[in-house]
Amino acid sequence: MELLAGLVESRLPHDARAWLADARAQAARGDVNGLATVYTAAAVRVGRAPLAASAADAAALAAAAPLAGVGFDRWTLTDGVRAVLLASRRTAGRAGEAFAADALACFDLCDAGEQQSWLRAASLWPEAEALRAVVIDACRTNILPLFEAVACENPYPARYFPERNFNQMVLKAMFNGVALSRIVGLPERRNADLARMARDYAAERRAAGRSVPGDIGLALEGPAAQEMA
Amino acid sequence: MRIFDPHVHMTSRTTDDYEAMAGAGIVAIVEPAFWLGQPRTQAGSFVDYFNSLLGWERFRASQFGIRHFCTIGLNPKEANNARLADEVLALLPRFLAKDGVVAIGEIGYDDQTDEEQRVFERQIALAAEFNLPILIHTPHRDKKQGTIRSIATIRAMGFPEERVLIDHNNEETLPLVLESRCWAGHTIYPKTKMDEERMAALVETYGSDRIIVNSAADWGISDPLKVPKTIAAMRARGIGDADIARIVWDNPVAFFAQSGRLDLGDLDAPDAIDRSQKFETNSVLRGDQVPSAR
Repeated sequence: MELLAGLVESRLPHDARAWLADARAQAARGDVNGLATVYTAAAVRVGRAPLAASAADAAALAAAAPLAGVGFDRWTLTDGVRAVLLASRRTAGRAGEAFAADALACFDLCDAGEQQSWLRAASLWPEAEALRAVVIDACRTNILPLFEAVACENPYPARYFPERNFNQMVLKAMFNGVALSRIVGLPERRNADLARMARDYAAERRAAGRSVPGDIGLALEGPAAQEMA
Repeated sequence: MRIFDPHVHMTSRTTDDYEAMAGAGIVAIVEPAFWLGQPRTQAGSFVDYFNSLLGWERFRASQFGIRHFCTIGLNPKEANNARLADEVLALLPRFLAKDGVVAIGEIGYDDQTDEEQRVFERQIALAAEFNLPILIHTPHRDKKQGTIRSIATIRAMGFPEERVLIDHNNEETLPLVLESRCWAGHTIYPKTKMDEERMAALVETYGSDRIIVNSAADWGISDPLKVPKTIAAMRARGIGDADIARIVWDNPVAFFAQSGRLDLGDLDAPDAIDRSQKFETNSVLRGDQVPSAR
């Protein structure tokens, strides 16, 4: 997290860096409204430029993430700042249950853009598992970028979702034309029920005279598919 | 031909839509309670939503000569928020008792989770208690399994199948529903679910018994004229008017009449529409508009 904070700071112009120092202090103290206010303000203060300015930046961030597969190369500066703000609260003596409660309260106040930042960072925290219900619920959205924030370039679902929810997410990705190759850990999480759901989906598409997604095999292949064959 | 659209989310439509629907022959509609595109976080949001279905929306429809009924229920997507679900379930009896509520719905499965199962079963029990039919939403994903499971749950609870309308069917699920004694709804959408040509082909294969079609028009890409457009597609295929009338009028009327609350009296001689009427001082007219004769 220090590495993320360092990179974020290095990418900010002088005045935004000063704002971030104040914002981190505000996020660390008082009730969650203070955190939520700077969490929202980040978009206006630091903008939506890519977080990783170079391949070297992206590689350094990837090496620093607690879980492999966080798609830092798709993060914006705003996403990075928001993760740093949550981290500031966590390190100010509010780790564990208190952090989970703060993070969830922050999410409740988020608009769709803020929720995307929050979801992209969900796997970064030692308390990640305590956020599971909210991350699963976020998959119900009809807002595609929000769904992608969970399903794509994010190790959270493969690590924490029960099989039923993971399978539903994969099927929803197919429904929405999201490339299955973007789902982190799909090869390891494939299972017989997912293969059955994917086959039923293909049959439904054919019966309706519609095309079947070209990458549906990613949900079928592997040991599970061989068992069924 | 008189048309009944038994599933259309009018709260997300404009008065232009009401005007076009009335012009196409739609005289009665059912608006099922569903979700709003993003999750609600407070039970109070449901109170206001249910009240708008029963109040403002019914009034708005009446201003275009359309009889508006609704179904009340906790949809399966939002059933997954257990705390909120319990609060909403506690509110439902108050609303299920109201006039113009012709079924409990849309209920059923979305992701087919344990929470959805619990909320589904609670609402089937409420339907029995309030003597209401049930409108079942079948899931977008894993639909065939969701349909099989919906019928199994209805049977396990001993709820009469002829008082159940299973909606959003496709080629894979319709035979399953017709094997039961449930009614089979079809949502005709521009891009997903079912289109009017495929629907006409299904009617050719399966006939008109227990078959219902709707537009489900909501805040997504949808078309509140899909029922009249499906009538045109059926006629083009040579399906007779008696079968068509059964699908777009007799069947939905027979189904929802089981509630005992489907008042279609005076439809042939409706009161002249008076758009200067107000619902709690709010009119569908805006600015300096003068009511036009229709």
